[in-house]
Amino acid sequence: MTSTLTCENLSKTYGGVVAVRDVGFTVAPGEAYGLLGPNGAGKTTTISMLVGLLKPDTGTVVVGGADLAADPMAAKAKIGYVPQEIALYPDLTGRENLRFFCRLFGLPRREVRARVEEVLDLVGLADRADAKLDTYSGGMKRRINIGAALLHRPELLILDEPTVGVDPQSRKSILDGLERLVADGMALIYTSHYMEEVERICSRVAIIDHGSIVAEGTRHELVELVGGADRIELTLDGDVETALAKLRGLGGVTEAVRTSAASVRLIAEGGRYLLPSVISTVDGIAAVTAVEVVEPDLEATFLHLTGSTLRD
Amino acid sequence: MLRSLLTVSALELRTRVRDRTALIIAIIVPVAMATLFGVALGGDDPPLRATVGIVDQDGGEFPAGVRREVLASTELSGVLTLRDLPGREQAQRALDAGDIGAAIIFPAGFSDSVGAGEGGRVGVLTSADTPLAGVVANAVVDRISSLVRARTLAVRASLEAGVPAAEVKEFVERNGAAGPALTLENDPMAGGRVDLSVYYGAGMAALFAFFVVGASFRSLLIERKQGTLDRMRAGPIHGWVPIAGKAVVGFALAMVSVCVTWGSSVLIFGSTWGDPVAVFTLLLAHVLAATAITMLVASRARTDAQADGVIMVISFVAAFFGGSLVPLYTLPDVLQTIALFTPNAWTTTGLTGLAGSGAGLASVALPIGVLLAIAVAAFGLAATGFRKGLLG
Repeated sequence: MTSTLTCENLSKTYGGVVAVRDVGFTVAPGEAYGLLGPNGAGKTTTISMLVGLLKPDTGTVVVGGADLAADPMAAKAKIGYVPQEIALYPDLTGRENLRFFCRLFGLPRREVRARVEEVLDLVGLADRADAKLDTYSGGMKRRINIGAALLHRPELLILDEPTVGVDPQSRKSILDGLERLVADGMALIYTSHYMEEVERICSRVAIIDHGSIVAEGTRHELVELVGGADRIELTLDGDVETALAKLRGLGGVTEAVRTSAASVRLIAEGGRYLLPSVISTVDGIAAVTAVEVVEPDLEATFLHLTGSTLRD
Repeated sequence: MLRSLLTVSALELRTRVRDRTALIIAIIVPVAMATLFGVALGGDDPPLRATVGIVDQDGGEFPAGVRREVLASTELSGVLTLRDLPGREQAQRALDAGDIGAAIIFPAGFSDSVGAGEGGRVGVLTSADTPLAGVVANAVVDRISSLVRARTLAVRASLEAGVPAAEVKEFVERNGAAGPALTLENDPMAGGRVDLSVYYGAGMAALFAFFVVGASFRSLLIERKQGTLDRMRAGPIHGWVPIAGKAVVGFALAMVSVCVTWGSSVLIFGSTWGDPVAVFTLLLAHVLAATAITMLVASRARTDAQADGVIMVISFVAAFFGGSLVPLYTLPDVLQTIALFTPNAWTTTGLTGLAGSGAGLASVALPIGVLLAIAVAAFGLAATGFRKGLLG
């Protein structure tokens, strides 16, 4: 199948510091591709190069057959970009904002009105379209922020943390809408700090760290990388640091990190069977006040590959 | 491309109309400025209606030259009056009594001393009550001083070459080495006949053009902060569209602003700015230069607040050195030289020249050329700055 997006060997250096090194991947039509990485890993730089905001030092980006460097207009016409911030005009109404971007992006005059109404329906804001943006709730702003990227019917939608600061109801609405777009054949690149969103939306995920892709594959393929290990979340009351040091030496534990003042996370093969040993290891050092065993997931994979949690 | 640019411009204009800044900066402030200067300063330049006393204890060619030139000058006729006074004390009393605005004192033997290559010293009496009359008297003396220096140099060179002292005066004059004859030119920058309301009105218009254009580029940096600029640039438009769209509105509003200042001054107070085509072209060139300079600042600024501050500083520095706040002729020579690097100086000089002479477009070709050169240089630097920063 022809890819909607093909990027190869993307690199960017700022004053001798490598922000992105040899990043490359493809996204097919109707595929949602997740881009995960801790803060400063190079996600935003990568996305900026994909949407043409930054010129890569090396590498190519081809969108729908158009080379972004050689024919930026054609390539950008196929990209919808949803920035992390609400990149709209607060003094304009929702409808005025959408109309502005329709005209800016060159939609024929006779199509503008109809397309604006379509997008307002799509994001569920037709009834609030004539209210100024600064009267919208956080969730409504996020929805119109996505809507503005859909106006010119892009083949590829790139979303940078599209649900930050959104209430659960709006988040569900946004994710439902994105799933419909993917089902209709749109390609998606999605970054988020919410692992459950990535697991729900994305069929393939790349984990980026220190500017490079350290792992890529389907959720199943990535989870396999941690060898089917379980994640054990412990809440301790006592000397947490000493307990953590003891747990690191426990057979079967492959990762052990402190996630808060009283919490510790372990990655362990057959974790549920290891639980009695875990409790006895910390006995006399700290009391276990809560425990949760989670089967292998992307969070565990991420921790395994990057040594940090996604929200660090 | 053009449609995208007009879309950005339309939104910018709409925003400026909605928040009333367009109305304030393009209409209200220019009318207010014209009114303020028309009421406060309307009419002819006061010092040129003043009387300057002459104390001629020399009786030689220099005081005669001053009288001759003042009488011969059509520009100064009926405006500047010379009054002969017998001595310094009488001149001082007349000055204290307000009968004269300033006095020039030629000491006895002055012309002979200069003719012998020994130089000479001319005295000037001025009063704090009539500062601009003092400027006129000093201007006359400055011109005499340059003649004296040229004559002294020529005489000394002739003496060194072996010309007998008794023949040196005749020798120097016969060989045309005495330097130029004394002339009093009409020079508005040095206190010529200018309606001060026009002078300061033009200066304020020149100053305010920077603020008007600066507001548009400030909004460009605000758009960068709020993310809308990146959203635009990620779309299928040329990267220059948002910048050009803002520049068009800033330029247009600044043109409206300076033209309203001009129109108000003419229509309300009947001031004469000179040939309309020349005035409009000069204002156009000034606004282009102001647009380019503020664009250059925006291309290098990191935040809208930083751009605001820098534009404010540049505007006032250019206004001060360019004669928008104080007349250029009151500045020391070195500052008048620095003024040549500001668009304000060329605009103010050009406009006051047009107002005072009735000349046409050709007479302001130089100021227009310099302003366009400033605009081209600043646009070039701004383009480089944007390519490295905003569009990098």
